[in-house]
Amino acid sequence: MIDITLKVNGSEQACRVDGMTTLLTVLREQLLLTGSKRGCDYGICGACSVLADGRLARSCLLLAADCEDRAITTIEGVAEPDRLTDLQQALVDAGAVQCGFCTPGIVLALEALLDVDPKPDETAVRTALGGNLCRCSGYGAIVDAALKVAHG
Amino acid sequence: MVGFHKPATLAEALALLADEDARPLSGGQTLVPMLNQGVVQPSLIVSLGRLRELRGITRLAGGAVRIGAMATHAEIATSTLFEAGQTLMPRTAVQIADPAVRAAGTIGGSCAFGDPTADWPVTLCACGALIELASAAGRREVPATDFFQHYLQTELQTGELVTAVTIPPLAGRGVYRKFARVYGDNATVSVAVILDVDVDVAVEAGRCRFVRLAVGSVGPRPIRLTAVEDSLVGRMLDAAAAEAAGAALAAEADPLDDLRGSAAYKRRILPRLVQRTLLEGINP
Repeated sequence: MIDITLKVNGSEQACRVDGMTTLLTVLREQLLLTGSKRGCDYGICGACSVLADGRLARSCLLLAADCEDRAITTIEGVAEPDRLTDLQQALVDAGAVQCGFCTPGIVLALEALLDVDPKPDETAVRTALGGNLCRCSGYGAIVDAALKVAHG
Repeated sequence: MVGFHKPATLAEALALLADEDARPLSGGQTLVPMLNQGVVQPSLIVSLGRLRELRGITRLAGGAVRIGAMATHAEIATSTLFEAGQTLMPRTAVQIADPAVRAAGTIGGSCAFGDPTADWPVTLCACGALIELASAAGRREVPATDFFQHYLQTELQTGELVTAVTIPPLAGRGVYRKFARVYGDNATVSVAVILDVDVDVAVEAGRCRFVRLAVGSVGPRPIRLTAVEDSLVGRMLDAAAAEAAGAALAAEADPLDDLRGSAAYKRRILPRLVQRTLLEGINP
């Protein structure tokens, strides 16, 4: 086993991992940050999305041991405790959350987009969501929420 | 138990990779899902994350562009160093997978996997790219058309690592068209074109000065037929000539029946996709 230190949501965390342990496994099973969901575990569904150095990444496709020099933000770290970001509130207001399993990944995919493109058009929003599967409702309300928070 | 090393130098990485049970880790977008699914079980993972010599995109004297193996698809998609026909590179990169995969996945990793349904093999064959390989024994360069050999089989030997990809200077402009079931999927059929034409707007055709044409995902390796390219040069390239070129490539295709479509379906859409891609090269 390998001893590593991860920087997650601004705090340093000591972890012990195997070489092939993914970041997702460490987040969920060691750090108990269960907002990142294990959907497919091979990079298709987007439910495990996090930000790595501010860029969207799938935590199931990152090896924990390879993440020591990266700042990781999970869904638990996007807002202050008991508060929502403007985007999260817009998703609530638009009724864009049903079962909620995909929502953490959707939030991080859209936060990553808004960080580099604060006024995206619908095509940009849909492209940003291209790697996130929602099986409840389709994407209409999610896209509406993103456009609303960007354009008012 | 799988070991993990993140060496600081390429020489150290190559020494570790001489062990046939070691696997190099670049962006992880292919290796990690294979680990998660138990498809590969290495004894040691060698992260390339600290190797600066594998990073960056640089324009060389003479106009070639050298792409470090660790350059991500997103970096290639947004690079302004590609000129004229080389713009096939960013136009391909932006169509790979989805934003998260483009931000992490690398051109070297994609080449090393050698999946003929991926986007880089067909585009690199069209470009006449050279793939640079290194091992503890030394370095060599292999043309992309020789590197990609069969389903998940490449010219890479045990202990060898893809270190860079070099794109020669190319005239014209690049166009990449990918037909896929859904956004983010690998191609059902893909077409990479580099085309330089004297356009005659009145007849929506152009006299072809230079063309590179390759198709992907319709067999064990990309298909590029220099005889078809040669037959187009100097001729008026219109819809009929473009579709005839597609038919010639379809005759060489050897697609599989798989979840992306039947072999017959892929053969059928290939000529029309080639035609559309060539015509887009004439009338952007």
